Amino acid sequence: MKAENPRQIGARVQRFEDTRLLSGAARYIDDIRLPNTLHLSFVRAQVAHGRILEIDTFGLEDIGYPTWVFTGEDIGNLSMKAHQDYPEMQYSEQPLLARDVVRFVGEPVAAVLAEDPYRAEDAAELVFVDYDPLPVVGTMDQARDASIPPIFEGWKNSMFVERQMKGGDLEAARAQAAHVIRRTYRNQRQAGVPMECRGVVAHYTPGDRMLTVWSSTQMPHLVRTYIAEELDLPEARIRVIAPDVGGGFGIKGQVFGEEVLVAWLAIKTGRPVKWIEDRREHLVASLHARDHEHTLEAYVSDDGRLLGLWADISVDVGAYSTFPFTAAGDPGMAAKVMPGPYDFQAYEATFRGFATNKCPIGTYRGVARPSAVFSQERLMDDIAREIGMDPIAFRLRNVIREFPYKNVLGFTYDPGSYAESLEKIRDVLADDIAAAEASKSSATTRTGVGIACFVEQTAHGTPDFTRRRVPIETGYISARVEMQPDGTVVIGLGLQSHGQGLETTMAQVAADALGVLPETIFVRHGDTLTSPYSMGTWGSRGGPLGGGAVHMASMQIAEKLKVLAAHEMQADKDAITLYGGRAYVTDNPDRFVEIRTLARHALRNVENLPEGMIPGLEAEFSLDGPRDGTYANAVHAAVVEIDVPTGKMKLKRFVVVEDCGTILNPLVVDGQVRGGVVQGIGSALFEHFVYDAECQPLTTSFADYLMPQAPEIPDIEVHHIETPTPLTPLGAKGLGEGGAIGPAAAIANAVSNALDVEVSETPLKASAIWHLSAHLRGEA
Amino acid sequence: MRPSAFDYHKASTLDQALALLAEFGDDGRPLAGGQSLVPMMNLRLARPRHLVDINALPLDAIEIRGDALHIGALVRHERYFTDPLIAEHFPAFLEAVHWIGHPTIRRHGTMGGSVSHADPTAELPSVCVLHDALIVAASASGERRIPATEFFLNAYVTALEPGEMVTAVEFPLPSGPTSGAFMELGERVGDFAIAGIGVVLGHDGNTITSARIVCSGARLVPVRSADVEAFLVGRTLADPGAQEAGRIFSAAIDPVGDHAASAAYRKGLIKELTRRCIAHAAGKASA
Ligand SMILES: Cc1cc2nc3c(=O)[nH]c(=O)nc-3n(C[C@H](O)[C@H](O)[C@H](O)COP(=O)(O)OP(=O)(O)OC[C@H]3O[C@@H](n4cnc5c(N)ncnc54)[C@H](O)[C@@H]3O)c2cc1C
Repeated sequence: MKAENPRQIGARVQRFEDTRLLSGAARYIDDIRLPNTLHLSFVRAQVAHGRILEIDTFGLEDIGYPTWVFTGEDIGNLSMKAHQDYPEMQYSEQPLLARDVVRFVGEPVAAVLAEDPYRAEDAAELVFVDYDPLPVVGTMDQARDASIPPIFEGWKNSMFVERQMKGGDLEAARAQAAHVIRRTYRNQRQAGVPMECRGVVAHYTPGDRMLTVWSSTQMPHLVRTYIAEELDLPEARIRVIAPDVGGGFGIKGQVFGEEVLVAWLAIKTGRPVKWIEDRREHLVASLHARDHEHTLEAYVSDDGRLLGLWADISVDVGAYSTFPFTAAGDPGMAAKVMPGPYDFQAYEATFRGFATNKCPIGTYRGVARPSAVFSQERLMDDIAREIGMDPIAFRLRNVIREFPYKNVLGFTYDPGSYAESLEKIRDVLADDIAAAEASKSSATTRTGVGIACFVEQTAHGTPDFTRRRVPIETGYISARVEMQPDGTVVIGLGLQSHGQGLETTMAQVAADALGVLPETIFVRHGDTLTSPYSMGTWGSRGGPLGGGAVHMASMQIAEKLKVLAAHEMQADKDAITLYGGRAYVTDNPDRFVEIRTLARHALRNVENLPEGMIPGLEAEFSLDGPRDGTYANAVHAAVVEIDVPTGKMKLKRFVVVEDCGTILNPLVVDGQVRGGVVQGIGSALFEHFVYDAECQPLTTSFADYLMPQAPEIPDIEVHHIETPTPLTPLGAKGLGEGGAIGPAAAIANAVSNALDVEVSETPLKASAIWHLSAHLRGEA
Repeated sequence: MRPSAFDYHKASTLDQALALLAEFGDDGRPLAGGQSLVPMMNLRLARPRHLVDINALPLDAIEIRGDALHIGALVRHERYFTDPLIAEHFPAFLEAVHWIGHPTIRRHGTMGGSVSHADPTAELPSVCVLHDALIVAASASGERRIPATEFFLNAYVTALEPGEMVTAVEFPLPSGPTSGAFMELGERVGDFAIAGIGVVLGHDGNTITSARIVCSGARLVPVRSADVEAFLVGRTLADPGAQEAGRIFSAAIDPVGDHAASAAYRKGLIKELTRRCIAHAAGKASA
């Protein structure tokens, strides 16, 4: 018999963290309670654009309890700066508290502190701000209008950024084309909605000169660095802790002004300061997403080959550039990924981010890709319709099949399963496609099938950020693995887990390398004191890079354990296998030594270590992403049924075929995909952050801002194809965001198929569906 | 999202509640199920200085008194599902309750709270208007009955005076066989309606002898249509002219348009829901 290690990677391990999260034992930001705390409530701008004339705090004088008020005048020049240093970007800053001018409703104007959160809120209400209104830039059309002044002084127009990307010979493609198809597509502005809102607690202890900041963030190290730089403090004396974080979805993958301000206030007042964002603040003034408009022109040959694509990409990025992904993040990403999974070699894109008097846009699950894929995949259907081809056949004709593939912008795609996924979805949906066809004879009940096929660049490496000059600057993830004297293991992980299941998957990865049970591994994350410097969790990188780093570090320890075991059993190091908590002689499993015995020898009874071996079982590894990342792919499909007289739509079926390379844990993968799909359904059907003409927000609570709920969500079927990538240690590609990328496109395509109309924008609320189906009621 | 300061008073008798409400006037508010009031307080859209908790009062009867069904102000929405008197006499009412919110909301929300809150899209105010119910309002100085059609003055505005509270709603019992239906459409399950239609048809054999119809969500208060009602009377259950009725109702209403739904869409919905609702009610009656 041979000793073989039963694989943990790929096993359906139930999430360890769920015991804590589901039993009420988790500790979220509001659970951080320190004695003597001052509670912060913000006075926020009530006009979208105005010059501050006066901040009247007179009402606080006889309020009957102590209060502290800080305004833009008190904070010096502290601000958020998120600039990309190239000539096409115009410079902007957001003061932590507005100075002189407010630029969106909800912008913090004053910070009011009291010893009780209710009192802080009461006190904030008594601060009156007088504004001289300034002209509002409310829409992208107004931002294009040269007669309306830009919202920043000295700007030459209302664009944060305008740039081009190109590759190949577009003129030639245009000249060869038998069909030229031009369309405009739009995605609405959304809020990103984690279940837990944001929040910050900060405390400065003069004894050890330590500033401790708790924040509901996805990137504690970056928060630490920004605070250190902005407040001019030694980074060694700052500790940032992300406690349990109740969802982030990219929204908490930024450094926010509140994080810096609360830290500053704690130092200033010498007391712990706590700010817990409420839902209205979150919806109005944390971060918005999407709000894209794309005009695309495709050049297609006689036989249905895409020859080239021209794209004009506009994004309403709101009032400020956010750190670290900036106002260029969304528009640039859309331009970069627009070529998608298709094989063509001529492309030209212009992208721009408009500055308007709205809440800033930032990264939200999928980051521009849901919008890009919406346009790309709506366009594929519109082309297929116009040239009379079946939409799946049209995609199969154009999809990339040979790897590695260098795309029109010079990005190299690692192997994927684009054609197989399309073929798979065609089989799975055969009956639905036939039923949709049959429903065409009905003017009252229509069914439709729509698909979206996409690639997702994941696990971006440092070169990708350097090329774009994004302030994130780098993309590595670090992990430190330490075996304890009793053989249990602690992993200090540079990622922060807020729903990804990393406490389980990272333990699985280390368990395989170390030959121990995953239950004996404690994954610590979200604390800059116990985790090595890293960029945090975002960009679908936890599995490929975090998992890779844990694997590499664990292998170094495994190596040392094998040397030690070989030494103790008088065997050859390469003949040792680690599994089940023991080190075996591979060909003679009767001979073994317990790993915990080895650990004790390595850490305590070090007198018997082999000649020259250094005590300790500890290793750290930092893994950067591959130059162009690794490309995951998926096909999403929606089947819808529409009641034409009322516009009521039912999502009957949602199917995902996904390929994220090596699957670390199928339960986690399915959960990530399903959660993402639900958010994508929200984008497609419900979630819309609405402003009126004066940029006053209209959807400021869950009564108006509609989230998808269980009754609207069909059972989401997930099929897997595994094409491991050679570019990461475990063959894993990223998958955290993919679920949210396809649904808007798939659902819009299904509506288009059902009603036999072109669908050019979301959200597809009942009202929109009803208007789109007018022709079937004989009204148009 | 924390309420401004208030004092809480728990009333143990109706007289005590009315005395407290009289004392506080505009500064006082009854607290019933809290499903509308508490969110409004958290948003500081409502800032009562005094809350008078009426949950302990014996106002939760559903019973026939004389020729009306008496429903106490504290009857919770979920009770209607299982009460035989509702199913027997008011089928449109019963159908309407299915459209109210979610199980938790229906467990806590009350009749008195719903009519007093007077949300233009809410079901129970519509049901009251549809059935020509009387709202029983009591104050320290006595009791009065306000016809539902005069009770709802505007969105969130009723004929109640400061110091007054609803103790019951009385639904006149139908005098002969009736059928009814209620349909609405919201964005998601449990959402407030984009538009809703309720209909009650009295009939003698196959002939429709009386008709009432109401629309919620389209205007600031529930609206009836005398034209549609007159059109239906005298027609047959087999051919009630549902399509034409829908056309008449939708032509008569000038609905609100907002970011949630265009006015044209609401008009279209009124037409279609009216048609379906009448056809459904007529179908049930002739079955
Ligand atoms: C998520 C959600 C979804 C909902 N969906 C729906 C829906 O689809 N349809 C629907 O109709 N409703 C819906 N509601 C509202 C729900 O039905 C409320 O319960 C109802 O409108 C108010 O009843 P309440 O007993 O909770 O009143 P409360 O919230 O206690 O009070 C509401 C108002 O009425 C006053 N009041 C209460 N009782 C009396 C009384 N006896 N006399 C005078 N004034 C009184 C209060 O002072 C307050 O001003 C929803 C609520 C929520 C939170």
